[in-house]
Amino acid sequence: MVQMDPSEVEFLAEKEMVTIIPNFSLDKMYLIGGDLGPFNPGLPVNVPLWLALNLKQRQKCRIVPPEWMDVEKLEEIREQERKEETFTPIPNPHYMELTKLLLNHASDNIPKADEIRTLVKDIWDTRVAKLRLSADSFISQLEAHAKLDNLTLMEINTTRTFLLDSLNSMYKLRASLQPQPAAKGHHY
Amino acid sequence: MPAERKLMRYGHSEGHTDVCFEDTGRYIVTCGSDGDVRIWEGLDDDDPKSINVGERAYSLALKDGKLVTALSNNTVQLHTFPEGDPDGILTRFTTSANHVTFNSNGSQIAAASGDFMIKIVEVSDSSHQKTLRGHQAPVLSVAFDPKDEFLASASCDGSVAVWNIEDQVQVISWNVLQKSNDVSNSKSLCRLSWQPISGKLLAVPVDRLVQLYERASWSLVSSLSDDFITQAVNVVAWSPCGKYLAAGSVGGFLTVWDVETEQCIEREKHERGYTVCGICWHPSGGQIAYTDTEGCLGLLDNVTDSSLFASKKDKVVAAKKESKYEDLFDEDDDGHFMDDLSVKPTSGTDDDDDDIMPSAARRQKSGTFDDDDDDDTPIDAALKMDKDVVGLPPAVPAVPQQIYEGPMPTRPQKPFQPGSTPTHLIHRFMVWNSVGIVRGYNDEQDNAIDVEFHDTSIHHAMHLTNSLGHILADLSREAVLLACEGTDELASKLQCLHFSSWDTNKEWIVDLPKDEDVQAVCLGQGWGAAATSARLIRIFSIGGVQKEIFSLPGPIVCMAGHGEQLFIVFHRGTGFDGDQSLGVQLFQLVQKRMQVICGEPLPLSCKSYLSWMGFTAEGTPCYVDSDGVLRMLNRCLGNTWTPVCNTQENCKGKSDHYWVVGVHEIPQQLRCIPCKGSRFPPTLPRPAVVILPFKLPLCQTATEKGSLEEQYWRSLLFHNHFDFQLSSGYEIDEEQRCKGQKEQQELLMKMFALSCKLEREFRCVELAELMTQNVVTLAIRYASRSHRMALAQRLGDLALEKTVAEQEDSEHTGYPGTWKKTRCNQSESECEEVQQLGSYREQEVMQEGCLEEQDEQEQMNIQEIGKPGLNLFNKDISHDTLSPKPSSKDGRVNPFKVSSSKAPATFVPSRMTNILDSMTASCKRSSSGVFSGGKAGKDAILKPLAPRPKSKTQTTLLKISGPKARKKEMEKESTEEEGHASQGASAQHSVNIKPKTGFQLWLEENRSSLLAENPDLEETDIIKEAMGHFRTLTAEDRLSWAERAKGQTGEVPDVKKRARVEDNDDFRNDKESNTKKKKTIDTSKLSAFAFNKN
Repeated sequence: MVQMDPSEVEFLAEKEMVTIIPNFSLDKMYLIGGDLGPFNPGLPVNVPLWLALNLKQRQKCRIVPPEWMDVEKLEEIREQERKEETFTPIPNPHYMELTKLLLNHASDNIPKADEIRTLVKDIWDTRVAKLRLSADSFISQLEAHAKLDNLTLMEINTTRTFLLDSLNSMYKLRASLQPQPAAKGHHY
Repeated sequence: MPAERKLMRYGHSEGHTDVCFEDTGRYIVTCGSDGDVRIWEGLDDDDPKSINVGERAYSLALKDGKLVTALSNNTVQLHTFPEGDPDGILTRFTTSANHVTFNSNGSQIAAASGDFMIKIVEVSDSSHQKTLRGHQAPVLSVAFDPKDEFLASASCDGSVAVWNIEDQVQVISWNVLQKSNDVSNSKSLCRLSWQPISGKLLAVPVDRLVQLYERASWSLVSSLSDDFITQAVNVVAWSPCGKYLAAGSVGGFLTVWDVETEQCIEREKHERGYTVCGICWHPSGGQIAYTDTEGCLGLLDNVTDSSLFASKKDKVVAAKKESKYEDLFDEDDDGHFMDDLSVKPTSGTDDDDDDIMPSAARRQKSGTFDDDDDDDTPIDAALKMDKDVVGLPPAVPAVPQQIYEGPMPTRPQKPFQPGSTPTHLIHRFMVWNSVGIVRGYNDEQDNAIDVEFHDTSIHHAMHLTNSLGHILADLSREAVLLACEGTDELASKLQCLHFSSWDTNKEWIVDLPKDEDVQAVCLGQGWGAAATSARLIRIFSIGGVQKEIFSLPGPIVCMAGHGEQLFIVFHRGTGFDGDQSLGVQLFQLVQKRMQVICGEPLPLSCKSYLSWMGFTAEGTPCYVDSDGVLRMLNRCLGNTWTPVCNTQENCKGKSDHYWVVGVHEIPQQLRCIPCKGSRFPPTLPRPAVVILPFKLPLCQTATEKGSLEEQYWRSLLFHNHFDFQLSSGYEIDEEQRCKGQKEQQELLMKMFALSCKLEREFRCVELAELMTQNVVTLAIRYASRSHRMALAQRLGDLALEKTVAEQEDSEHTGYPGTWKKTRCNQSESECEEVQQLGSYREQEVMQEGCLEEQDEQEQMNIQEIGKPGLNLFNKDISHDTLSPKPSSKDGRVNPFKVSSSKAPATFVPSRMTNILDSMTASCKRSSSGVFSGGKAGKDAILKPLAPRPKSKTQTTLLKISGPKARKKEMEKESTEEEGHASQGASAQHSVNIKPKTGFQLWLEENRSSLLAENPDLEETDIIKEAMGHFRTLTAEDRLSWAERAKGQTGEVPDVKKRARVEDNDDFRNDKESNTKKKKTIDTSKLSAFAFNKN
């Protein structure tokens, strides 16, 4: 089984578009992934996160935090997440990666960065706890399938290896407990 | 006149509120459960001043600059007004104070508390405290008798008592109210009110009635009631004249009675039915402000009939207008200049005095307004008298008076820097323009200026300490210009940080003469300018050399610079009834040294003021007024101002605004900052720029015609700057310019086709007059194709005229008009394209047999000019099915023939082909091709009017004899064309032109076999025949041919997937149906054009 690294998920997240305010002037760039720009100093423009971070590191732009990256909105989401038993819809499928990348590289452009970091961590913790809990009940109740809506890639990724491996092991254990000819060769 | 209920607006958080007017009526003051006191300059005030007085404020009273609030922390506090500085605690209770009120002369206050007590204290020193005990429950409200003899109070124990203040004893008490144990449980707040001045009657809200008790006898004289009121009356308030009584009740009913007649004269319902808990009259009557338990503030206007409040309306208008100026006029010095402003307008002479007057220590005080009350102009006197009269009770016989009822002068707006926020703010933008941002901080720790550039390649950000106290700033790519006002000791200074200087001294400072203050600054290229209070414009070079100095005709309002241009707006007189009277000057400074606009009036929206002005990035002056309308200079129409955008149209809320920071003509962008509920943005969080589109306010832009017209004129307007730039010797972007011209011509062609469709031939000719000569030829083709012979004829004449005009034009070196000028320039710019076109043409030259077809192609392209981006590729499909008929051409060529016979032009066949070829290339190409061809040799100018190169065509022409024959031909042709056109419509994807179509390929391969089958056929007939054959092929086959053709050209970029098969089917259907109804041919044919959105 191919394991997906968190950095690979992060890589995928870097395709998310964010708004930047460049401090340089550049015509449209024609890239394989699509056209970017034109860049006018002082005028907001949408670019992928990877470019935004690159420009930010070179101090070529200011990043405008995404709309959801706001203390009030995140608090609301956190409350919602705590209230609901299921996973609530999240404003961005890569919220964790975006938060991490933006706060690490552009915290000076994000008001109340620390609060946001805490809030997103809270949301993350709540969700991952939920995930673990549901995985636990899934296994303990010997369910055959489970429906998990609104999970983000990163969240799935945290549990995938462990869950699948443990399911495999359990399967093997059960199989050895009640050896059945049909079960053999299933895995190999 | 019925009262006008203004929209409610949120003032405080939900909960109990109270309201009162400032003594002059200029301010509405509210308090609420959020513990804030807000000072509103009228209901429209977007930025009320807020004073935090405590955790919750239950009641407030305001008199003589003293603001008294009853708070939840058991105290009654005094604040100064309008500064809001705490001025001590007047009295304390053991529980919260519920109500507080002033006596008639403002020397004492009475406060009612939840601890059953009423206290009366001197405001000046909290002395002479009197305590009135006797109520058995929390006291709801108190009211001073205007003669300061009695005090009335209402309590939760159900009693309303009248006290003798001197003896501190109850005179009388009525048990009329419902009992409750606390104010919060009381059904009504039971705010009492004495009749003003005489104090003859005491109004007591009792359930749904208002009872009036007579002074001294304390008998109930009457009860005012109204069926309209369904719940308990909460508050009552007498009008200042004592004639009317207003009541607000639970459930949001507002009622006004005429007390004498006991008639209810006004009934209003709160728009959401919230309980009214605060009500008060404007000191001059006429207006009632009220608040509700949800924290909203409302206003009833024109409450009583105007006989008593003669010029009330004017005043209201004036007051309203003034409230709109809140950003412009500083609030800090309110105490000084707010006196009576709503009643006492200033006149022009006052301003003059003011400007020459030695400057006071503070800028605010040396503002544009004269605040001197003694300086009575006749208007002032009249108004004052009027005001006095208003205050009198009706019992006093009215003194015969002269009331000034004419138009009221408007306060002239103060000078400002474009792109700056008000100076009283602690953190403010001193300027935000297309170069960068200058921010000013003026808090306890720091008085500093931050300069930041949008483009960091200009210069890095700067942080300066603002020791001089600069309040004005401008920023260009070369320098930062700062200015401060003079003080008693120090002269006003102009400081320039010339960061682009190549020497080591990057800064210079100039002191202005004593008593002359800088009021506005601006920077151009290589120069800076300062407008001063002495009505001088001082020009400095960027390095600090003093240059021109000249006088302004009036006080400066605003100034902007760009390149060599200086744009000044000043007060040219006194505006009336809310309008400003502004004048505008535009100078060319450096080389030409001329005044382009000499003090002409600046058009503003009704009752608005200037809120931004500057130049577009391309150098066209423009400005925005407070109604959000952006106007731009139209240099082509005698320097008139054209409104190009109304930013308010883009706002969601009524009190939202856009704060303009820059205008760009190419691309058309209005850069501004959205401000929710205010006129300007805060410095933090950092506001984001948005782009608004421009839109000329033409009529019916929802219709196709209107929208095309709007686009055309907008395009024309936004390309004007090229002419200006050329004339002032700047380089221009030829590519952009050509693009603009192409766009305009395309729009004209679309409009032309649309008018054709609507059978408006006269309009067609009008449009054609706007076209360039080569586009007229396209129009002629179009007209002839749609069988509008008369139109084609006229267009032919027009084309001829245009040609002649052009010839004359090129002979004259001077450019007589802009239009011609544009065309000449165009011709020059297009010269270079000739060569390019030539090579293109060679590529395109087809074999003889295909010539006819190509002609058809180009006809199609003519039609398709109306839809840029529409599939030119579709011709390969259409050609599949189209049989080119030489004979069919007769009908349309005929009109040309006439005009061409008139024209002295000699026809060159090869040229003809060139032109047509280039036409297929693209509109622009073709147009330039024709045009440059015309330039190269005049003989070919009338080419499009000349007959076809084919001798056969000529002969068929001659054959046409009767109208019948022609009609037949036309019908035949139109069926085909119909198919052709509808085919074009069905094709949606843009594909580039290519020289060969699928049909041509097919024809090449099958020509010999066709010839073998029909040896006696002529060339055109072969094609016809071939068409027929080709049509019988299956769709797939045809597709493959088309694909082959595509493959052959190879370099066709951006070919998108198309449902070609479907297209073909569509086409066939179309064709069938169209042959059946030939009468609808023209209309359906035109459906091929882009104005059909699909």
